[in-house]
Amino acid sequence: MAFIEVHSLKKSFGNLEVLKNINFQVDKNEVVAIIGPSGSGKSTLLRTMINLETADGGSVCVDGEYLLKDGVYEKGPVIKNITAKMGMVFQHFHLFPHLTVKQNLELAPRIVKKEERNAVEKRSAELLAKVGLADKADAYPGNLSGGQKQRVAIARSLMMNPEILLFDEPTSALDPELTGEVLKVMKKLAHESITMIVVTHEMDFARDVADRVIFMDKGEIVETGTPEQIFNNPQHERTRAFLNIR
Amino acid sequence: MSFDYINLILRPMLEGAKVTVLLFFIVIVFSIPLGFILTLAVRSRFKPLSLLVRGYIYVMRGTPLLLQLLFIVFGLPLIPVIGDYLVLDRFFAACIGFVLNYAAYFAEIFRGGLLAIDRGQYEAAQVLGLNKFQTMTRIIIPQMFRVTLPTVTNEAVTLVKDTALLYAVAVPELLHYAQTAVNRDFTIVPFFFAGLIYLVITLIVTMFFRKLEQKYHYE
Ligand SMILES: Nc1ncnc2c1ncn2[C@@H]1O[C@H](COP(=O)(O)OP(=O)(O)OP(=O)(O)O)[C@@H](O)[C@H]1O
Ligand SMILES: [Mg+2]
Repeated sequence: MAFIEVHSLKKSFGNLEVLKNINFQVDKNEVVAIIGPSGSGKSTLLRTMINLETADGGSVCVDGEYLLKDGVYEKGPVIKNITAKMGMVFQHFHLFPHLTVKQNLELAPRIVKKEERNAVEKRSAELLAKVGLADKADAYPGNLSGGQKQRVAIARSLMMNPEILLFDEPTSALDPELTGEVLKVMKKLAHESITMIVVTHEMDFARDVADRVIFMDKGEIVETGTPEQIFNNPQHERTRAFLNIR
Repeated sequence: MSFDYINLILRPMLEGAKVTVLLFFIVIVFSIPLGFILTLAVRSRFKPLSLLVRGYIYVMRGTPLLLQLLFIVFGLPLIPVIGDYLVLDRFFAACIGFVLNYAAYFAEIFRGGLLAIDRGQYEAAQVLGLNKFQTMTRIIIPQMFRVTLPTVTNEAVTLVKDTALLYAVAVPELLHYAQTAVNRDFTIVPFFFAGLIYLVITLIVTMFFRKLEQKYHYE
C-alpha cells in the first residue's frame, strides 16, 4: 500500500462537481507537482486531503490509516491523528498577524504538542536559519515582504514535524522577483525526507524538482507521469493545450 | 468669582464625579465580556439561542437607553406580584441597565470584528492542530480586540457622557450637583465646571485606549 492513497474522491459545491473521480497515490518522500488550469479543483483536492473541505465520496488513506473510507469519515480523534502528520502552506500565507515570527512558529508546538520551551525555541531558531530569516525572529508579519512571509509560513509548518507537506500555489501571490527565495527553500526541502504535494504554476519548479507531475482539468486527473513525460511527451490533447505544445 | 466659591461648588461635583467614574468602570468591566458572550450566542449554531439574542440586541439598540433605565428603576417595581422584589438600589439598578444596554452595543461591535478576520486564520490554526477553543483564545479573540479597539474607544467615550443619564433616575452624580448649584446660585459657572470635568475624564479614557492601541499595534 502506498504512503498516501486517494480513491474515487468526489466533491461538489452545490451543483458544481469540483472533484469528479480522483485516484492517485504518493510514495513516501516523493515530491509530486499538481498542475492544471484555474478552477480545475487543485486547491479543493489538497484541502480535502487535510480535512479543510468535506468530501462527498471516495477514500483517503495516509500511512495505512483511513481518514475517509468509501465516503465515510473516521471519528474526530482519528482524523486529527492523521492530519497531524500533514502540514499545509497556503497561497496567502495566513500568518498570525498579532504574533511575532518566533511566536508564529512556537505557538502550535507549545500548546498543541505541549513541548518543552527550550526544545521549541531551539527548533524555531534552527528553522528560521534554514529559511534564511534568523534576523526576523522578533518581527511582526506585517513588516515582512511576501517572500519572507511565505518562508516563515513554511518554517511554521515544519515546526510540527510533518511527514507530508501540502503547498497550494505558494508563490502565486508573490511579486516575480520574490518567488525565487521561496522556491529555493522548497527545493532544499525536496531533498529531505519529507513527502511533498505542490500545486503550482511554476513549470520550471515542477520540471526540476518534482518526481512526478499530475495534470488536472475540470475535476479530473487527466494525466500523470514523470516531468519528462508530461512536459516533453504529453499524451493527452488537454495537457498539450495547457502546456502550449502543438 | 472667588476661590472659596469655586471650592464650594466643586467639592460636591467632584463627589458626584466619583459616582460617574464608578459607573463607568462597572459598565466597562461587565459589559465587554457580556457583549462578547452575546456575540458568541449570536453565532451559535443553536438557532433559538441565536434568534433570541439577536432579538435582545435589536431591542436594546433600538430603544432609548433612558427608557430602559426608567423601566428598570421605576418600571419593574410596578409589576404585579413580583414587583415588590424588584425594588433595587437605584444606582445598582442603573448599573444593570447600563451593562445590559452597552453589552448589546459591544456585541454588535465584536460581531463586526469577527467578520473582519480572514477565514485563512481559522484554517491555518486548524492545520496546525489547534482545537476550537485554542483557535478562539489564541488567534481570533486577540485579533478581534485589535480590530475593534478604535470602535470600543468611541463607545467608551460615549459611555462617559451617557453616565449623565443617572440624573434622570435620581442618582446624584456630577451633573446633578452642577444643576443644584446652578439653581441655588443663579449662575452658569457650575455647568462650565461640569463640562470641564467630563472633558478631563474623556481625555483620560481616550489616552488610555490610545496607549492600548499603540501597545497592540503589531507592525
Ligand atoms: N467554497 C466554495 N464554494 C463554492 N465553490 C467553490 C468553493 N471553493 C472552490 N469552488 C469552486 O470550485 C472550483 C475549483 O476550485 P479550486 O479552488 O479547487 O480550483 P483550483 O484548481 O485551485 O484553481 P486556481 O488555480 O484558480 O487556484 C472552482 O470553480 C471554484 O469556483
Ligand atoms: Mg487554487
